[in-house]
Amino acid sequence: MRAWYRNLDPLVLIAWLGLVVLGLAAIYSATNGVAAEFSDFEPRENFDKQVMWLGISLAGILIALALPIRFFQVSGFPIYIVTVLLLLAALAFGREVNGAKSWLYFGSIGLQVSELAKVGTILAVAQLVGIRRPKTMDIRFALMVVGLILLPAVLIVLQNDTGTALVFFGLIPIALFWSGLELNLLLLMIAPAVAGYFAIVSMPTAIVFSVLFTGFMWWKTRDRRIGVITGLFTGGTAAVTTLAITTLLAPHQIQRVLAFTNPGAEEFRLGVGYHQVNSMAAIGSGGFSGKGFLQGTQTQGGYVMEQSTDFIFSVIGEEFGFIGSMIVIGLFSLLLIRIVMLGANMKHPFGVMVAGGTAGVYLIHIFINMGMATSVLPVIGIPLPFLSYGGSALLANSALLAIVLSLHLRRDDFSIYGY
Amino acid sequence: MDESRSRVRVFTALILVIFAILALRLVKLQLIDRQSHTGASQDNSMREHRVQAPRGRFFDRNGVLMVENEPTYSIFITPQYFEEETIPLLAELLSVADTTMTRQVQDAKKWSMHKRTLLRSGVSVEELGLILEQRHRLHGIDFDLTQKRRYLTQARATHALGYVREISDKTLHKRVEEGYRRGDAIGKAGLELEYESAVRGRVGAEYKMVNVKGQVVEDYLGGERNHAPVSGNELNLTLDADLQAFAESLFVGKRGGVIALDPNNGEVLAMHSAPDYNLEMFTGYLDAEVWDEVVSAPEKPLFNRVTQSVFMPGSTFKPLVALLALHAGAIDAKTKVYCGGGHPRGRGQFFACLDTHGSINVVEAIKESCNTFFFEMMRIMDVNSLNRFATSLGFGSSPSLDIAAGEIADGRIPDSTYFNSRFGPAPQFWNEGTTMNLGVGQGDLLVSPLQLARYMAALSNGGKLVSPHLVREIVNLETQEVVRPNDQMVEQVALNPVYVRLVKEGMARVVSEESDWLQIPGIDSYGKTGSAENSRADGDDSVFILAAPAQNPTIVLAVLVENAGFGSTAAGPIGSFMAERYLTGRIDPKRNWLMNLMFEKNSAPMVAKSE
Repeated sequence: MRAWYRNLDPLVLIAWLGLVVLGLAAIYSATNGVAAEFSDFEPRENFDKQVMWLGISLAGILIALALPIRFFQVSGFPIYIVTVLLLLAALAFGREVNGAKSWLYFGSIGLQVSELAKVGTILAVAQLVGIRRPKTMDIRFALMVVGLILLPAVLIVLQNDTGTALVFFGLIPIALFWSGLELNLLLLMIAPAVAGYFAIVSMPTAIVFSVLFTGFMWWKTRDRRIGVITGLFTGGTAAVTTLAITTLLAPHQIQRVLAFTNPGAEEFRLGVGYHQVNSMAAIGSGGFSGKGFLQGTQTQGGYVMEQSTDFIFSVIGEEFGFIGSMIVIGLFSLLLIRIVMLGANMKHPFGVMVAGGTAGVYLIHIFINMGMATSVLPVIGIPLPFLSYGGSALLANSALLAIVLSLHLRRDDFSIYGY
Repeated sequence: MDESRSRVRVFTALILVIFAILALRLVKLQLIDRQSHTGASQDNSMREHRVQAPRGRFFDRNGVLMVENEPTYSIFITPQYFEEETIPLLAELLSVADTTMTRQVQDAKKWSMHKRTLLRSGVSVEELGLILEQRHRLHGIDFDLTQKRRYLTQARATHALGYVREISDKTLHKRVEEGYRRGDAIGKAGLELEYESAVRGRVGAEYKMVNVKGQVVEDYLGGERNHAPVSGNELNLTLDADLQAFAESLFVGKRGGVIALDPNNGEVLAMHSAPDYNLEMFTGYLDAEVWDEVVSAPEKPLFNRVTQSVFMPGSTFKPLVALLALHAGAIDAKTKVYCGGGHPRGRGQFFACLDTHGSINVVEAIKESCNTFFFEMMRIMDVNSLNRFATSLGFGSSPSLDIAAGEIADGRIPDSTYFNSRFGPAPQFWNEGTTMNLGVGQGDLLVSPLQLARYMAALSNGGKLVSPHLVREIVNLETQEVVRPNDQMVEQVALNPVYVRLVKEGMARVVSEESDWLQIPGIDSYGKTGSAENSRADGDDSVFILAAPAQNPTIVLAVLVENAGFGSTAAGPIGSFMAERYLTGRIDPKRNWLMNLMFEKNSAPMVAKSE
């Protein structure tokens, strides 16, 4: 028998290692660069803390790799319940950081419980899917999946951490997707969101999208009812969104929503658009090869707020340029596609859901975070997996990855239910 | 199985689509729009730090360093980082009123939120120390080591040198293309103003990277784009610092002015207008109240009496009238005029002379300063001849001088047109009786000391009308190139040397025979005293012109002492002492008593004439 570690997937590990190293470099630059002596917004010790959390995460990974499949299958619900309790505790006793009451402190170590809740939620959903082993979806089952995810999501909304809550909301279609929901229904769920986005960015695009998509659904299903519903969903969302940003919302809310479409505009650039103007200036001025490690003027000048956490990508974009950006995208692509493939390899709904959920959560994080840093999306404060400073996120994301690797390592131990 | 595989494919496609969107966005940001984002990031983090160039130094005609620079500190504000609640602290540290500071901060904001603006120049090391102690509280406040003027000799030469101040908004708007920026220094008067472009030098630049709070982090691009300032050109002046200082000491307590020229080339050896003001006040922080006091003082210290003040020349005009009559052939050396104590043909009145001179020729008339003789000259000459002749000798129009452009007085030499418009057509309304008093330098004549000195120079150098100037050479330190900007400006006046010699003889006898106070021991000279009526009620002004040595003059001067009576009692000795000091480097001890008398002499307080 081969040594267990020989079955570890090297590509995933390489991608993980590459991202973590890049992240540490960027965090070092943001916190220990030439500007560090002036910097009270990016404490030097954050780099050391991140290294410490990397150690903790490594330990977590090793533990997860040592645990049998059974453990994860059995502990899914208990972990979920514990994380929900922790979320409640954070609501009750938590400390408010940046307006969100999502931190629990154990001595000097703070835990962002909402990050850990992702692990519990994915395991619980996977366990649900594993137990039910449905050949086809039924509505009750779908509602249970949705409920499992909505509970922590609502708690996180109550904590006022909308960014992280958004990840949970995004997890709903992904979980349904991996648990076998009909693709048409899934498309129907996602389409209004796309239509709404287009309505904000450009009304004509939204109309074209709604018409084309409705036509596509009608053509695909040959079902007039589906066509009508699709049309109502997409067109309705676009209309409601337009109405909201023109009349319904308060001016400051409208500003927040619209700012990302033109953050440099006079009315936004010093207010809600400030982050994105400076983030784009940092990334754009990096050019093809970047300004060099510790040489980014935006980074070293501290112009991008939250540059070691939510806007870590601006550091990479500025100092390592387009090459650095593409390396990040390449590593993420490798990591995500590989995780999905590992999941498929497991040939068991539990494994598929854990891997698919993990990849999904990463994808949402990456899209929202990098979209925000490059002004494709509005400012939504969530970290970039493995790159952003933040111990809880690093631990949670590493744990999810380790669980996927661990399950894949022992995929032969899955009972041969399969699909 | 197939279902599962297709879902993997769909999800993989989703991943690739999302990453493709992000990658395309990055292509746009980092490759296509790179330039504009680079600009945006530079606007943020790069600050151009202007390094002021040391202004050119001034040397006197003997190579004595008169004006150089010394380091000083300037405090700057960058409003975007500045917190308004620190205004009281800053005001206290710079010892100004809160309201003043508030106004300065508002002004700076109006100019630019993110550019540095000069808040205060001339800050001492001690003041700077106090500010640095509070630096952590004073965001957006920083300092530069800059240069201020330093004056090294006893000579103040206030009106000649002029001063440097922070550029005004008005000037800035006009000259921003020449590279001036808010907070830059610019010459505001005198040589500093006139030779601004020569002495200014080239401003250097340091590009600094600043962080979001405006703190300088490091040199931008390691300093590769920095360039050092280039010092301004040096000026070799025509002034004699020692003579200048001596002139200033003689004018303590007096109002008036003196200008000494080298008659051969128009070089200004000394120029002083009293009272003056202290140039040192511009090297530190200039309090508005102090400045207002200078501006509004009744003695008008900003007014350059040498170039701007005009008055009736009195008897100093008599040599000119004599020359006019000689050149016109109206008289010759032997022509005599009878002086019975005055001239009977004045306009309805008897014009008095100071004495009864009897029959008198032109040389004696100049020596005695006989009014009757010169009334008669103007009776037989017409006023237009006088106008033409005096104009050819530089009167009636502003002489060129390489400072104070546009502020030099024209004076006035009347002609028939003038009298026609004043009184009505001749002869019903005016006749030669009206113009006779021009012959003694009274009436509607107005001249300035600068014009008198120039006229004296023309008499002394064979009729060359020189252009007085203060700068002999402009020296470019980099190229060692020397420019002489004032060399070729001389007009020739047709003067007959025989007549000039006659006039000079009379003037020489003024010095040697008329008063003990005018003679320079061991050196012959010629000159003419005068007392000029003025518009004030406090007494005549004392005027004196002099050239020495008589054989080949190397110095001519014109002296004006306001309301000090006869020329021989104040202006005369002052002129004599200055020539002696210039020619011998000392004052004969035998004349110390007289010099002390001059030191102690004061102009009477100013009294405006009552209506």
